[in-house]
Amino acid sequence: MVETVIKIAGVSKTYGENKLAVDNVSLSIAKGEFLTIIGPSGCGKTTLLRLINGLADFDSGNILVMNRHMHEWDKVQLRRSIGYVIQNAGLFPHLSVKQNMQFVMSISGIDEDIQEKRAHELADLVEIAVSQLDEFPGSLSGGQQQRVGVARALAMKPQIMLLDEPLGALDNVTRRKIQIGLQKIHNKTGATFVMVTHDLKEAFTLGTRVAIMNKGRIEQFDTPDNIREKPATDWVNQFILDY
Amino acid sequence: MNGTNPDSAIDFFITVYQRREYLYELLIQHFVLSLTAIFITMVIGIATGILILRYKGIRQIILGAVNFLYTIPSIAMFGLFIPLVGIGFVNALVVLVIYGLLPMIRNTYTGLSEVDTMYIDAAKGMGATPSQIFFRIRWPLAFPTILSGFRTMVVMTIALAGLASFIGAGGLGQAIYRGINTNNSSLILAGSISVALLALVTDMIIGFFEKRVRSRKLHSRRNKLFTSFAALFFILIPLLLFIYNSRATRAERSSEIVVASKPTAEQYILGEIIARLIEERTSIPVKRTFGIGGGTSNIHPAMLSGEIDIYPEYTGTAWLFVLKNKKITNPDTLFDKLSDIYNNEYQLSWVTRFGFNNTFTLALPEATALAEGLTSISDIARVSNRFTFGAEFDFFEREDGYPGLSESYSLEFRRVVEIDINLKFNALENKTVDVINAFSTDSRIRQMNLRTLRDDKNYFPAYQAGIVARNETLNKYPELKSLLAKLGNTIDDNTMLMLNYEVEINKKSPERVAADFLKSKGLIK
Repeated sequence: MVETVIKIAGVSKTYGENKLAVDNVSLSIAKGEFLTIIGPSGCGKTTLLRLINGLADFDSGNILVMNRHMHEWDKVQLRRSIGYVIQNAGLFPHLSVKQNMQFVMSISGIDEDIQEKRAHELADLVEIAVSQLDEFPGSLSGGQQQRVGVARALAMKPQIMLLDEPLGALDNVTRRKIQIGLQKIHNKTGATFVMVTHDLKEAFTLGTRVAIMNKGRIEQFDTPDNIREKPATDWVNQFILDY
Repeated sequence: MNGTNPDSAIDFFITVYQRREYLYELLIQHFVLSLTAIFITMVIGIATGILILRYKGIRQIILGAVNFLYTIPSIAMFGLFIPLVGIGFVNALVVLVIYGLLPMIRNTYTGLSEVDTMYIDAAKGMGATPSQIFFRIRWPLAFPTILSGFRTMVVMTIALAGLASFIGAGGLGQAIYRGINTNNSSLILAGSISVALLALVTDMIIGFFEKRVRSRKLHSRRNKLFTSFAALFFILIPLLLFIYNSRATRAERSSEIVVASKPTAEQYILGEIIARLIEERTSIPVKRTFGIGGGTSNIHPAMLSGEIDIYPEYTGTAWLFVLKNKKITNPDTLFDKLSDIYNNEYQLSWVTRFGFNNTFTLALPEATALAEGLTSISDIARVSNRFTFGAEFDFFEREDGYPGLSESYSLEFRRVVEIDINLKFNALENKTVDVINAFSTDSRIRQMNLRTLRDDKNYFPAYQAGIVARNETLNKYPELKSLLAKLGNTIDDNTMLMLNYEVEINKKSPERVAADFLKSKGLIK
C-alpha cells in the first residue's frame, strides 16, 4: 500500500470577507511523489502550498502531515521538518552562501561541526563550488541563487519539500538545467516534492502527478499522461490547448 | 573691530595655547555630555522604534510627538526644562536626548518596517521563531538604515551640545559663548573649530563603520574586532564616564559651593573674584557655573532651588526684574529694601556691594559731544531731532528703558534703530547711529573714546553690583560672610571699566584679571 505523507481533506480558505482562495480541496500525496500544482494566477495554488506548512490557516476541512493533524503540530517544528523554497530563492542578503544553507540548522541549534560538514555536502548536491560558500548572494547568478535556495531547504534532510514557483524568474536554459537538477535531487533524497508552477511544460515534465487548479478548486489530479489523454473537464482541455 | 586684522590668526594660536587647559577641560565636558546623550538616545530611540513597529495604535502618536518636539527651537527647549530639572548637566542631557530621538526612532522604525516581507516569510516558512526572525533577519537587514539615523543623531548631538553652556552644563559652547560675551573672537573660533572637529571625527569613524556594514564584510575576524571597539566606544566609555561623573558630583555636592555668573565679561570677572577668594582663603570646594544664558531669569530660580549658592547681581535688576517693583532712585534706600525682601521672602542675603554702579547711560563719540557741547541727557534732548538712536530690542521693552527715558527728557530722535547688543558699538563706529545706550562700565566706552552723558534727571535706577548668597550656605560656612564682605567697596566705576577693558580689549582671561585684582588688594597672595 502506498504511504500517504500529506492528506488534505475538504479544505477551504477564505481571505477577508468573501474571497474564496481554496474551495473544498481534497488531495492525498504519496511518499516520494513529485507533485506539481498548476493553474492560472490567482487560482489558489500558492495558498494551498502555504496551508501545508502552516503559513496560512484554513477555515474548514482537515490537513494531516506525516500522520499528524495540523492542530497537533507545533508550527515551528512543522516548518523545520519541511523544506521550503520560495520564488526568486529569497536568499538572505546579509548572510553568506554557507550561512544561508545553514540557516535552519543554525536556528535549530545544530552543532557547528555538523553544520560545516552538511554545508559541503549540500554544495556538492546542488553543484555549487566550495569556493563560493563564503560569497554573498548578491554576487551569484539567478540560477546559482536558486540552487542555494534549494540547498537551504534540504539542509535538515526533510521528508517533504515545498517549492513555490522556484524557477519563475529564470531564463529557459538555466531553468531547464535546474529542472534536471531538481529531478536528480528528488531521486537521490527520496523526499516528497510539492511544487507550484505556472509553466505547464514544467509541471508535466517534473510531476509524477499533476494537480490542475482553477478558482480554488482542483479540476483534475492525475498523472501527466492521463491528463493529456483524458482531460477531466472542458476547462482542463482548454487550459492545455491554450498553452 | 576684532577678527579683521592680519594679527588675528596669530592671536588665535596664542589664545589656543594659553587657554589649552581650559579648552581641554571643555572638550572633556563636551565629550562626556555628548556621549552620555548619544547612549541614552540610542537606547530609548531603538526601543521606541521597535515598540511602534509592533503596536500600530501608538505609532502615529509617538512619531507625531517627536516630530513636534523637534520643531521647538533648541534655546526654548533648554529654557522649558529649567523648572523641571533645573540647570546644568541633566537639563542639557534631557534636551539633547529629546532632539536626538527623532532621527533615531524614525530610522529604526523605517529600517525595520521596510525589510522585504519575502525574507520574513522565508524565515518563518523555514521554522524561525519570532525572536529569531527579529534578531537574525529583521534587525541585521534594517541595521544600515538604523546606523545612518544613528550617525545623523550623533553629529547633531555633538553640535547641539555646543548650546549646553547656555544652561550651565559646560562644554565647548562655553568657549564660544564666553568669546561672544567678552568680545574675544579667537576664543569663539577655538570653540567653534573644536566642536566642528569633534563632530567631524566622530562622523568619520561611524562613516567608516557604515561602509563596512554596507559592503557586508562584517563577519571577518578583523571586523568583529573593529565592531567590538566601536561598541566599546559608544556604549562602555560614556557609561563609565557617566558613572564616574555622577559619583564624583554626589560626593562633592554635599560640601561644594556653586558660584554662578551671567554671560558678560564683567560677570565672569566678578564670579571669578568670588570663587577665587573662597578657594584661596577657605578649604571649601568651589564649583563654577559661569555664563548662564538668560542671566537672572535662570539663575534666580536655581538659587531658590539650591543649585547655585552665590552669584553677583545688580540691585536694579533684582528690584525691577525679580521683584517687579516700581523704580526707586535713591541707591541706598533701594539696597536696604532689597536686602529685607530677599532675606524674608527668599532666604537670600545681599552680602555686600562691590562699590560701582553699572547702570544705563547714553554714549556718543567724544568729538560729537565736544562739537555740540553735550554733557547730560538733557543736553541731547535739544538736538535729538538731528540724531539717530540705537539700542538692543530689550531696551525698548524694559521698565527703565526707552519709552520712559524719551518721555522724561522729551527725546525726539530723527530715527530709532533696534540693533543686536553686541553690534551696537560697531553701528556707532560706522556711523549707522549717532547715539547708543550703554552700560557705564563697558570697556568699549574707553576703547572708542566715547562720552557718556550724565543722567541729570535721575531717570535710570541704580544698578549697583553686589553679592547674593543663600542663607543656608552662609550658615553652613560661618566664615564665608565676613570673607565676602571684604570685597565691599573695592571696585569703583572706573576700576570695573578697567577690569572689563583688560578682558575685552586686552584679551586677558577673566581668571587672570580676577587674580591680579585680588592680589593688588592684598586679599590673596
